[in-house]
Amino acid sequence: MAEAFAVDIEGVHKNFGGLRALDGVNLHIKTGEIYGLLGPNGAGKTTLIRAIVGLVAPDAGTVTVLGRRMPDVDNLRNVGYMTQQAALYPGLSVEENVQFFAAINGAEEEDVTEALKLVRLDDRRKSVVATLSGGMRQRCSLACALVHKPKLLLLDEPTVGVDPQLRVQFWDDFRRMAASGTTIIVSSHVMDEAERCQRLGLIQYGRVLAEGSPNEVRALAGTSNLEEAFLKLAGAKAS
Amino acid sequence: MSGHRVAAITRRLLQQFRRDRRTLALLFVAPLVILGLLGYLIRGSTSSPAVGIANEDQGQLGAMFASALERSSLITATTIQASDGDAKLKDGSLVAYIVFPADFSSRAQAGTIAPELHLEGSQPGTSAPVLQALQQALTSVAATGPVHFEPQVHYLYGGPGFDTLDYFGAAFIGFVVFFLVFVITIVAFLNERSQGTLERLMASPLRRGEIVMGYMLGFTVLALIQSAEVLVFSLAVLKVHNQGNVILIFAIEALMALTAVNLGIFLSMFARTEFQAVQFIPLVIVPQVLLSGILFPVSTEPKPLQVVSDVLPLTYAVNGLRDVMVKGADLTWSSLQLDAGVVAGFCVVLIVAGVATLRRRIA
Ligand SMILES: Nc1ncnc2c1ncn2[C@@H]1O[C@H](COP(=O)(O)OP(=O)(O)OP(=O)(O)O)[C@@H](O)[C@H]1O
Ligand SMILES: [Mg+2]
Repeated sequence: MAEAFAVDIEGVHKNFGGLRALDGVNLHIKTGEIYGLLGPNGAGKTTLIRAIVGLVAPDAGTVTVLGRRMPDVDNLRNVGYMTQQAALYPGLSVEENVQFFAAINGAEEEDVTEALKLVRLDDRRKSVVATLSGGMRQRCSLACALVHKPKLLLLDEPTVGVDPQLRVQFWDDFRRMAASGTTIIVSSHVMDEAERCQRLGLIQYGRVLAEGSPNEVRALAGTSNLEEAFLKLAGAKAS
Repeated sequence: MSGHRVAAITRRLLQQFRRDRRTLALLFVAPLVILGLLGYLIRGSTSSPAVGIANEDQGQLGAMFASALERSSLITATTIQASDGDAKLKDGSLVAYIVFPADFSSRAQAGTIAPELHLEGSQPGTSAPVLQALQQALTSVAATGPVHFEPQVHYLYGGPGFDTLDYFGAAFIGFVVFFLVFVITIVAFLNERSQGTLERLMASPLRRGEIVMGYMLGFTVLALIQSAEVLVFSLAVLKVHNQGNVILIFAIEALMALTAVNLGIFLSMFARTEFQAVQFIPLVIVPQVLLSGILFPVSTEPKPLQVVSDVLPLTYAVNGLRDVMVKGADLTWSSLQLDAGVVAGFCVVLIVAGVATLRRRIA
């Protein structure tokens, strides 16, 4: 039953010139799960997320999202994508930005208010984005990604620049969304965030080095914390 | 195609411009400044070229010519000594001097009217009025003799008051709109790419055609307001000669603006940075200024350049605007049908090209 997997990635390769950005990636992400993509700079996390939304065309392999082969433009209404760089219209207000992404994704005005509440920007809804702090921009960007209540939420380093208190709140919200059936894929290099994911994929050189719950990953490496586990697993593969 | 999503893009563009004072100024103040300056340059000039007259004629004719030249409004004539003439050309106090030699009258009797004209020569533009004044003097002198030279002048188009601004004005109305709309579209679309929002749009259910259509509508609204403003300013303030239907002029401008929007979208696909996009501006604008008949009629261009002129959209728009404004053409004229049809054709081709080149994929 393919439907059990929200995202199904089979043998995906992607080369940029001579560079192997994705080198035979297989991932099976379950519906309602929070999946963490963990890896150093240039590991291929962003490329993998782009392949999931169909922005990067794999050289080989297949990507299936919510039971449909990508690329599939209509299927994108079920997907929310928060880009790594907070991609917003700097000249527009917070509200106008969220309203715009709501409109193109077929969401309603109530959804806008709800999304702004979720990222705690409802008191700044009239502020022009260019005048916001970096973390607030990041929050606005998150609101734009989830305003249409997507079934699959792709978050490329969503908590960079967000203060620790709000980060904790974000993760509570992510967990609540996951509990109500939303599948969330989060990329990160922050280990304490990795700890909060149900399952992790450690990525390096475009390959998945190890996969499993935080506990399983630690056990696999025989270490007591994720940081060491990751260094050990990465080192083992490289040598 | 979803109207709702297209409208979302159009609305967002207009919201962005509402907040962007500088771009609004470029769109709505710059054309008035450019056209106002052009009008002032052409019509505001007060000084006519300074010309020296040296009458050494022993007969009557030289004096008659000299007084006719002094009356001419085309030049400012002063009496000089022929021997001082060259020095005055050199120091720049005169652009030309005319000598009526000692034997001027006697040679005229024999059938040759031979005034000597000395031109400074480094500024071609100033020679023409001097020659024209001389010719008028000849006409007025001839009128006092037994034979009256009285050409009956009839104008098919224009008229005695038709000047350079009337000729350029018609073309400039089209050009100014084309130029500013093109620049703003190419930069705005590129911004979408460089600030990462295009990636977001591509990861949404938006169709490529919806993006292009939304942009087109948004910019067209701005371009139409700009066109109307330019038109009112040209006709009411600059009083550019117009024989034709104002609605028709507006329609040609609108078509022009649509072409500029789509050309901007299309070309922005080939630029990775705003800096590269700016490089397209001279590439697109300079050939059109030189070759679309704004400054030099296409029919007088060398043949190879005419081929280039024939594929520039502005050539047809300029021709159409001139036909309407100068000649009073309407849509029953086959030449205007052709011009409007070709501009519309360019517009459609560019829309298709824009949609086709807008890639969903980053790689
Ligand atoms: N469009 C592209 N053209 C060429 N190379 C690219 C392109 N996109 C990514 N790459 C290369 O692919 C590799 C993986 O990049 P990617 O952006 O996926 O890394 P990442 O894991 O997201 O890193 P980071 O943590 O820094 O965001 C890098 O070496 C990068 O240079
Ligand atoms: Mg990345």
